[in-house]
Amino acid sequence: MRSSQLLILAIALIIAFMGIISIYSSTYQKEGKLWQDITKRQILWVAIGFAFFLLMSNLNYRWLWDLTYVLYALALFFLLLVFILGAVRLGAQRWLKIFWFNFQPSEFAKLAVIIFLARYFSKKSSYEISLASTKFGIFRGIILPFMVVAIPMGMIIEQPDLGSGMMLLLLFTALLYMTEVKLKYIIMFIVIMLAPLPLFWHFLRDYQQERLLVFLNPNIDPLGAGYTVIQSKIAIGSGWLFGKGWLGGTQSQLHFLPESHTDFVFATFAEEWGFLGCAVLLILYYIIISEGFRIAQRTRDDFARLLAFGISFMLGIQVFVNIAMNMGLAPVVGLPLPLMSYGGSSVLVTFIALGILVNIDKTRSVF
Amino acid sequence: MRPKIAIFLITCMFIFLSFGLLNLELIQGKMNRDLSYKNCIRLLSQTGCRGKILDREGSVMVDSKLSYNVVILPQDLRELDKTLMSVSPILGKSPEELKKRFRRDYYVPSVPVAIDKNVDIKKAIAIEQIKQDTPGVIIQPEAVRGYPYGKLAGHVMGYVNEIDRWRLTKLEDYGYKTKDIVGFGGVEEKYDYYLRQEEGGTSVEVDHRGRIVRVLGFQPPHNGKDVKLTLNLKIQKIVEESLGDRKGSVVMMDPYTGEIIAMVSSPGFKPGDFVEKSPSVGNLFSSSSAPLINRAISAAFPAGSVFKVIVATAALETNKINLNTTFVCSGSTRIGRGEFNCWNSHGAQNLLGGITHSCNVFFYRTGLLVGAQAIHDYAVKLGFSHATGFELPYEISGFIPSPLWRKLNKFKNWFDGDTANLSIGQGDVLVTPIQMVRMMAVFANEGYLVTPFITKEIDGKDVSAYERRAVHLPFKESTIKTIRNCLRSVVADPSGTANILSSLSVSAAGKTGTAQAPPGQPHGWFVGFFPFEEPRFVICVFLERAGMGYYSSVVAKQIIGKMISEGLI
Repeated sequence: MRSSQLLILAIALIIAFMGIISIYSSTYQKEGKLWQDITKRQILWVAIGFAFFLLMSNLNYRWLWDLTYVLYALALFFLLLVFILGAVRLGAQRWLKIFWFNFQPSEFAKLAVIIFLARYFSKKSSYEISLASTKFGIFRGIILPFMVVAIPMGMIIEQPDLGSGMMLLLLFTALLYMTEVKLKYIIMFIVIMLAPLPLFWHFLRDYQQERLLVFLNPNIDPLGAGYTVIQSKIAIGSGWLFGKGWLGGTQSQLHFLPESHTDFVFATFAEEWGFLGCAVLLILYYIIISEGFRIAQRTRDDFARLLAFGISFMLGIQVFVNIAMNMGLAPVVGLPLPLMSYGGSSVLVTFIALGILVNIDKTRSVF
Repeated sequence: MRPKIAIFLITCMFIFLSFGLLNLELIQGKMNRDLSYKNCIRLLSQTGCRGKILDREGSVMVDSKLSYNVVILPQDLRELDKTLMSVSPILGKSPEELKKRFRRDYYVPSVPVAIDKNVDIKKAIAIEQIKQDTPGVIIQPEAVRGYPYGKLAGHVMGYVNEIDRWRLTKLEDYGYKTKDIVGFGGVEEKYDYYLRQEEGGTSVEVDHRGRIVRVLGFQPPHNGKDVKLTLNLKIQKIVEESLGDRKGSVVMMDPYTGEIIAMVSSPGFKPGDFVEKSPSVGNLFSSSSAPLINRAISAAFPAGSVFKVIVATAALETNKINLNTTFVCSGSTRIGRGEFNCWNSHGAQNLLGGITHSCNVFFYRTGLLVGAQAIHDYAVKLGFSHATGFELPYEISGFIPSPLWRKLNKFKNWFDGDTANLSIGQGDVLVTPIQMVRMMAVFANEGYLVTPFITKEIDGKDVSAYERRAVHLPFKESTIKTIRNCLRSVVADPSGTANILSSLSVSAAGKTGTAQAPPGQPHGWFVGFFPFEEPRFVICVFLERAGMGYYSSVVAKQIIGKMISEGLI
């Protein structure tokens, strides 16, 4: 085992462990079998994720290149399936019930899109060794790949899951930046995306508008839409330097904090472990993400490079948006905290992504 | 180049998050932690009962009863208007009024607000029944003051009400706080510290729906201590019945110990009105007849002819007269340049006759022999012109004028006419009924000036020993005896001014007084004691603007008569 593999695996497992104890803490007082099983389920998911990590890290990533279209088509198929027979939970249709677990196709779609883009931008032109994307004009450089992203993005936004949809857009922009596409096109793209933003307001659903307004001022509706943010801020803030201790958090344990085991698991963690715990957590995330960047820079395969950047961005953006949203610094969107939030799809996809990352690093000398 | 910028951006994002955490957890940490506790810790206060007030036999005069308050817990409230709409028909009050009360008393979401107090039990049950539709509305039982006898001895008891600013500043150091119920006037105020209950409560941890998760701590509430008075409930009742609607005051005291057996001031008030917040409370403060003033201790009046007892004592003690000294009363006498009247022509009067018939002329002459300063001094010795040391608050000292005082304060000379006026208890003389009773006790117990008191026991411990001992006045035995005989003669002699009392089976003694207080009718006094041989009660009946002392002796007769018929003597 290489050092980078060991490092990433160890950190991922530590973060997952932090997540498990936080999930346990936020649910152990809740009644009902469903709640009692949540921690066990998460442990199971981490175990499965660990297995997939080992699998992916030993499977040459190049097979992803071959399977790109299949994976992409599969993602679209799953997203379509959600509309047909998806389970409606928390007012949104985001989950697919497969056998005994709920599968969230949007998590899978993120990875599929990254793979697709990585392949698309790393194609070599047939007569030169250089990347085809260096010569891309605006159509092939921006519009065509954006179409690829826009299809799953539109489907995800329609679920509705604005957070994951926006996540894809951000991911696309970030990845675009890492390619050889000309900077002026990228800037043009960003401007075009931002300009009609005020118009989008009218297309947003009521609760989405509310969330945005509440983000600007949580106190306009302290018991409604602003409630979660206010309680989450109180939970994080009341942690102080050392926290209230494991199982000692009042905000999460007494259910003042909604979604304390999923999107707001960070608040639960922060309340009980304080600033020191949070600092450790942030450092761990930072190490794992910068390790991803380092791997991307080390590899000589362009496909692998973009793949590694994409995975690192996916982690980085999700961590940032989720924690910022927990602190009331970003609007509330349904984005999980990778590795920590309860949810099989997210845990599984993150472990798979990390497995790919490790494999890239392993394979680079061979290639 | 691009990867470096990307790493830089990611690093910036993490630094941004760190600063956010730093701000939230460390800079605002204290505030947020307080907020988190405020979220989940609630204090359910429980109050005990205020102590009871008992009479000398242990019968309850004032106790506590259960009342039901309609309370809103703001944090459980969903729609204020809707909730009030459904509650208002039951309470019979308009939603606007209830809303106003809610707005007025609202403090923070976790502190309940009472929108109606002391509601009928039927209404309380009706509200409990619609509880499902009115979240946040709670019926809260509370112990409030109960007055089984209505206005009985209202002035002695005092009333209870929410603490006012003046008392709060004075009592803050003793653990009093805003909205506390404290005593105003009487025993309630004097012994508030003992009577008041100690608030206890349970601090509980609640979840987001306000359901109790666990109990963090419990401090049991303590009931207030009971205060046992020297009042006799039965006699107090008799006295109040006899006084009826007449304005005035009656004080009855044990002549040897100074225990107050009955104390009435009229017009009275119902202390219960303050508990019920009845609209009549406002009138109590503004009424010209001052129903809240305890006339027995907090109001002073001219003494009238009762004062002659003091003049006689001074004259006998200073040997200015003896039993045979006689003055002739022809209906008036000339002193200085003025003509001083008597209410009748009594002819030749010695001391016995002078007191029996309450002859002014005899006392004008005696007073001039004794001198104003000596009369003042003896009045002071007998307890006038300063407070008696009675326990209840707001006792006033009354006033006895003297030549020296006149010189020092008014820069005026004292004339014989002033002495004459002083001799019959007029002029600037002001006395309180309790002072009169105390003075009369000296002749009943033959020479001791007692300190009146009203508390027998607090919390079962005898406190009468802490009261000031009786002071022996160095009067001649013969003086006391003579005055006693004179006072007996007032009742026993067919021409005595209080002869009406002679028909009672108990031998009484005393002195009447008609105190001029223009404008308006004179006040009537009767101050005496009974039974004559072994006195057990000293009584003072004061009737404001009654016309003459005779009416006071009528009331005294009624009182004593009823006491006899109820076997209380």
